[in-house]
Amino acid sequence: MTSIITLTASDGSQVRFVDERKASGGLKDVFFSPDKDYVVAFYRDKMDGVGRERLNLITGTYRERIFNQEGGDYLKRLLVWPTATVEHDGRIGVVVPFFDQDFFFKYGSRNDDQLLNIRKREKEGKWFASAKNRSKFLDPRELGDGMTQLKTCLMIARAVRRLHSAGLAHSDLSYKNVLLDPSSGRACLIDLDGLVVPGKFPPDVAGTPDFFAPEVVATAKLDRHDPKRFLPSRLTDQHALAVLIYMNLLFRHPLKGDKIHDMNDTQRDEDLAMGERALFIEHPADASNRVKLANVPAAELPWKDTAKLPYTITGPYLSDVILRAFIDGLHQPAARPTADEWETALVKTVDLLQPCQNPDCAQKWFVFDNSTKPRCPYCGTPFRGKLPILNFYSSHKEGNFRPDNHRLMVYSGQSLFPWHVNRRVFPNERLTAAQTRRVGYFVLHNGEWYFVNETLPGLRDVRNKRNIPPGDKTKLEDGAQLLFSEENGGRLCVVQMVDG
Amino acid sequence: MRRLPVYLLIDTSGSMTGEPIEAVKVGLQTMVSALRSDPYALETAFLSVITFSDRAAQTVPLTELVQFQIPDLRACGMTALGGALALLADCIERDVRKTTAEAKGDWKPVCFLLTDGQATDDLNRGIEALRRVKVGTLVACAAGPAAKPDELRKITEAVVTLDTADSNTLKAFFQWVSASVSVSSQKLDLTKKEVGGLDELPPPPPEVNVAL
Repeated sequence: MTSIITLTASDGSQVRFVDERKASGGLKDVFFSPDKDYVVAFYRDKMDGVGRERLNLITGTYRERIFNQEGGDYLKRLLVWPTATVEHDGRIGVVVPFFDQDFFFKYGSRNDDQLLNIRKREKEGKWFASAKNRSKFLDPRELGDGMTQLKTCLMIARAVRRLHSAGLAHSDLSYKNVLLDPSSGRACLIDLDGLVVPGKFPPDVAGTPDFFAPEVVATAKLDRHDPKRFLPSRLTDQHALAVLIYMNLLFRHPLKGDKIHDMNDTQRDEDLAMGERALFIEHPADASNRVKLANVPAAELPWKDTAKLPYTITGPYLSDVILRAFIDGLHQPAARPTADEWETALVKTVDLLQPCQNPDCAQKWFVFDNSTKPRCPYCGTPFRGKLPILNFYSSHKEGNFRPDNHRLMVYSGQSLFPWHVNRRVFPNERLTAAQTRRVGYFVLHNGEWYFVNETLPGLRDVRNKRNIPPGDKTKLEDGAQLLFSEENGGRLCVVQMVDG
Repeated sequence: MRRLPVYLLIDTSGSMTGEPIEAVKVGLQTMVSALRSDPYALETAFLSVITFSDRAAQTVPLTELVQFQIPDLRACGMTALGGALALLADCIERDVRKTTAEAKGDWKPVCFLLTDGQATDDLNRGIEALRRVKVGTLVACAAGPAAKPDELRKITEAVVTLDTADSNTLKAFFQWVSASVSVSSQKLDLTKKEVGGLDELPPPPPEVNVAL
């Protein structure tokens, strides 16, 4: 019978754990609390004063700064943050909340999990980012669809943005430290006890292959204290974030193409391909690192086919950020898009999603390609029918509306939210409860599209000079102008109609 | 996609009869199921088994993890360790893809050798053959009191010893092998060097002693 150990934690709380090692990672041994609501992870190595100070700050000041603000409860879903430190038998440990049930496989692998027996295991990001694991091994119910995959990426970007805006760097964003649940569109960052505070606490890990920034790889052989050596930082996090998002949208690595750098030495070839000579596999002007289809196993198709599924299927906002991450910023860290820019592009891309009309399409959703003949890039099914697109403008001074470079695709059941109504509302953890409720919805009725106003007090059809009070509806026609709000930042939309 | 070839060289000489050979089979089974729950290994690892007694044979060709079937191992005869190494060299030469102008080659293979005795054939012939091919890691395991760690050290620097060749010890050994393959498949492209000696593998379980 294993015993239960009771300790008093740094914050004065009582911490209990079952004295049976449940898992061990690179640096720590993990024990569960009796009710499995938290874990206690003990460092195997002795910790110096600096390490302890860092842990105290992470479990104390930094944690409070992030979670004791508006949006703190929301962020607990994104950041699995250590809450306290403990000491036992001369070893230091951290108390960390248990991962949410969403992050353990419910179905696991194919064949009722007979194939791999992974049910109830953690959903480590690697499972989902690999085209082969997806097509051959995972139960399709674990994979999510085009909508939930995009939301998963949004959660990753949001979590990283929050860390960065607090002046922290994760320093090892990678498969192991980002749990994903594509089936529900969730993600969370774990292992936050190794956070880097620029200028204060240096990184204690170099990072993870696949996610190393090129400058880190290229200078990895230099001494740790060599000023030319690049160590993990916010800028290398930005590279890792870009790789994570690209891989979870397109299920291939953005730099792993077929360009050969060294015929005889595999390792040197890999070092150059990921470091000094890193080159985006979809570089528009340099095709030398394209994936050669002849070398791609069937299990990795169609994702490895960059001609069939180019990065541009992610839509204009993400395409722009992808190019900046893997062309402009690949070798110039300062030019890399920030987590905030990824978050904004992802939020706007959610509004560009259109349901695929093929009921058997595995992706179910695709990003509108701005064409008059839209079709799903995954299954090739063309869109049939009338498709309204709302183009947003917002007022900068009275009566003057300028384009916001933001569109909303309409489908039956699509909702309009406060962040569509006013430019100054942005959907993130700081939304109030009222701001998360829809204000109206779209519906197709007898072959015509309508917007049904539920709660907007000032909705107005500008062309017909007609107010549309809550409870009323308005028909969507090509060229229609709807003013959602007269408040500062209030938006107007111009309707375009595609007839497919 | 580069593959990670993993070769397991297993002694099936007469002295392995009974508990040891049964423990090897169970160990292989445990190892394969552990690797099958590892998304990194699933993507890259390919396994092959070479057995040796009177002579060496590639019992399982280089096979994708998910298709790998545990071979039916039988113990009898002598210990053709030299022959096994020569065969390993031939297999690597034949199976491991080299980089061409068109396609990336495989990673250097990771090899594990398990024996409970000493070579009864020309060991040097095998060692010579092995020098001609590229090997990433080669860990040799001397299982039980009759094994000769000194002889194995002529083959590789990475030698571990097991005090006994019973089921518990061998189980721990195979768990360690699977952890090593997991680590190798994740850290392949670590920038310093490919997985080399024992330094980069996970710490051996308490039942395995690193022979220094």
